[in-house]
Amino acid sequence: MPKRNSVIVLSSDEEQETPKTRSYSSTRTKPKPKASSSGSRGRKKARVSSSGPRLSKLHEINLFDDDFNEVFTRSKVFAGTQQNIAEELWVDKYKPHSLEELSVHKKKVEEVKTWFEERLKPSKGVYRNNVLVVSGQAGVGKSAAIHVIASHLGAMVCGWNTPTPVIWQEHLYNSGTATKYTSKLDEFVSFVERIRKYGLIPTSFTGESKPSVIFLIDDLPMMHSKAALGRLKDCLHLLVHTTQIPTAILVTDYGNTDSADYNARSVEELKISLERSGACKVTFNPITVNSIKKFFCVNPDQVHSLSLPTRTPHALKEKSNKPVELDDGSPLYFGRDETVSLFHALGKFLHNKRETGVAAEYDQNGFLMQEIFSRLPLKMDVPEKILSQSHVQPGPVADFLHENVLDFLNDEAVEDAWILSSYLGDSDILLAKLRGMLSSHNEAESILQSAAASIAVRGVLFGNSQPISSRWHAIRRPKLWQVQKESSYHKNEMFRQRIPACNQLSSYHMSVMATEYMPMFKLLGNRVGSAYNELDQESAQNLDMEDFDTDKMSLDGEAMEISDDDIEDW
Amino acid sequence: MASSSSSNSANYDVPWVEKYRPSKVVDIVGNEDAVSRLQVIARDGNMPNLILSGPPGTGKTTSILALAHELLGPNYREAVLELNASDDRGIDVVRNKIKMFAQKKVTLPPGRHKVVILDEADSMTSGAQQALRRTMEIYSNSTRFALACNTSAKIIEPIQSRCAIVRFSRLSDQEILGRLMVVVQAEKVPYVPEGLEAIIFTADGDMRQGLNNLQATYSGFQFVNQANVFKVCDQPHPLHVKNMVRNVIEGNFDEACSGLKQLYDLGYSPTDIITTLFRIIKSYDMAEYLKLEFMKETGFAHMRICDGVGSYLQMCGLLAKFSLVRETAKAP
Repeated sequence: MPKRNSVIVLSSDEEQETPKTRSYSSTRTKPKPKASSSGSRGRKKARVSSSGPRLSKLHEINLFDDDFNEVFTRSKVFAGTQQNIAEELWVDKYKPHSLEELSVHKKKVEEVKTWFEERLKPSKGVYRNNVLVVSGQAGVGKSAAIHVIASHLGAMVCGWNTPTPVIWQEHLYNSGTATKYTSKLDEFVSFVERIRKYGLIPTSFTGESKPSVIFLIDDLPMMHSKAALGRLKDCLHLLVHTTQIPTAILVTDYGNTDSADYNARSVEELKISLERSGACKVTFNPITVNSIKKFFCVNPDQVHSLSLPTRTPHALKEKSNKPVELDDGSPLYFGRDETVSLFHALGKFLHNKRETGVAAEYDQNGFLMQEIFSRLPLKMDVPEKILSQSHVQPGPVADFLHENVLDFLNDEAVEDAWILSSYLGDSDILLAKLRGMLSSHNEAESILQSAAASIAVRGVLFGNSQPISSRWHAIRRPKLWQVQKESSYHKNEMFRQRIPACNQLSSYHMSVMATEYMPMFKLLGNRVGSAYNELDQESAQNLDMEDFDTDKMSLDGEAMEISDDDIEDW
Repeated sequence: MASSSSSNSANYDVPWVEKYRPSKVVDIVGNEDAVSRLQVIARDGNMPNLILSGPPGTGKTTSILALAHELLGPNYREAVLELNASDDRGIDVVRNKIKMFAQKKVTLPPGRHKVVILDEADSMTSGAQQALRRTMEIYSNSTRFALACNTSAKIIEPIQSRCAIVRFSRLSDQEILGRLMVVVQAEKVPYVPEGLEAIIFTADGDMRQGLNNLQATYSGFQFVNQANVFKVCDQPHPLHVKNMVRNVIEGNFDEACSGLKQLYDLGYSPTDIITTLFRIIKSYDMAEYLKLEFMKETGFAHMRICDGVGSYLQMCGLLAKFSLVRETAKAP
């Protein structure tokens, strides 16, 4: 059994490590709640309490940081961290340590803080709910905020830390012995159960005066099916109603992705259901330009190495959603996905800068164009090259162009507008072949895609015959995108339904599903149907419009089913 | 032939792609910005979590392997965990193998970390990616992750937020040519310049493809010229297709059609022909309107072919549409 061996090695490792951390903690305080050096202490305790053979039952409660209560000063911290400067990621190194350093909006921080303050105050009236849902995009500082607030209030953060599980093969290997197979969801559910009933186990911190505790759920288990989602929902619902400890649940928003990813949606659903059951909700806004600027200036020695210096100005531009200047030199290689470079390319296409002068020299091998079809040469690289440099998917490009191009047209140029629209329409037809498909590795598909992108871009360049002199424009986010996302999500949902519903009648058409099957379900008040109440109407409309490619959809759906299906069933 | 094969009999079986895979970050061809950044990392250590994204054959895997070798040197075997799409990478593996590896103790020089390389990360299920999220964070002071993928959009956003994204774009023809020349000289391949040109055309910015085609041509014919390359790669000859387009633009519809007929009779499928045609049109120097319309028609024809209407008539119709476009655009 390789697993058990490695665990033993591991714990002995930690034994070596522990004295070191202890000596550290006597000289300096540790402000970073998640650095594993401080975490290891807590983990070790948990491991000691549940000894070797009961591995699968390791529900660890990490006492993230024992030193939170102590007061610290910044200068000390810097001196302390200096020695392992090369070994830490800046993300960890420059974790915010005080309320002032948080990049989250002051009001939100205040809100969360007072929420916790009220609940942590002893002998106050019992609150109806003790659960706070904190949501926001990835990287806005959700968990950082909780940790900082906790340290500010002198409370201790306890969290659910996923135990290393027993894998399926291993389970098969020693089936019959004591190890029981549990999925992560099982473990989470029973963990929550315990928290709900008994609160935190006080044995882990005897001796000291009992500090107040904040309970943090960061890593919600994944759910792959409706059943698992329902179970998780129920479990959290119970938690909301009964828990005595102030609890924060962190939920990542996927607002910006154009994927109709099932998981993203189910997280969304989960959030709504939590709210319904009475949890407070705080949404953190995306980080603003100023707060990033401020944060980077606070840390003066951040200038010395690789990516960040080049990234900052671009990141700022991206967040402020302004068109990017055209004369902006080299393409960018570090950054959040398809944002900065996308605007860069869009700016080029929309402003449509051309040479001035006569077009006569452009025709080669004696082919003369009609006046209305000839254009001055472009003052940029070949559009295909720009596209490939900007690393964007053709879909978003076409949508963005469609949303924004009219702003860049002359007010009188109606003809231009219809030329443009016809080309964009054409490219959309080509893209529609690909919409919702999961993989595009196929050669054939890549041709379609690049053709679509080229048509959209070149159509915009060609159609805009009298580009207005460049002035400032905000580039808007395409609404089309949103619609597409919704519709493909609903279609996938429908397909999921279809598989269990009609095994033998697999020839069911999607529209039959939408118009007969679903309403019937609703009518019967079936449990499965009831989950779809709010979806029904919309999807019915969608399907009526998009009847033509439902056959293809079914193929896509199948692909999706397969890819979502994991070896281990939840 | 026999003598040449015996001279390097040790490496005879190794594909050139592997044999000439650069082992240092400096040697990687193309994408200067990305590579220079990786070089800095290789020198200074402290690798951040990375996502390398780009089309196939542009050096993602090569650069991450080279980087890991340079960073870890003799410790490579124990301090690197490499998983690609052929390995089981479901949620179980992420939660077990990767986590175990992250917890493993390895003695490394300061500023060096264990590296987990996840090749073709876009084929990981989003469940597995979600499970990776916390692992990445918790063990960040001992383990760093490098993910290689074709489209970074398929990596979930929380992971993107935890990584620096390095983008690779298709290699330029010069860059591929430079590398081909190195290989050609090392292997003493007889060639004519047109042959290499043909290889570069078939490679289409994909170095792996280029090297494979070169090796296939060499081992098949022992001589690299245009005809041999296209025989091996079995694509419609681009020159032929180019002539077709030129004929259309010059108004010789009949000749264009007979050119098409020839290609069709050679047994190329409509998909083959149209793929080459699209690439020719993309690079052909013609008026903007013509190019736009030609691309549009090609795109639609391709769509119809995908729908199953891949007849000769369809292809002729495409040429006829080209001619129509040309007639509309032509000055009276």
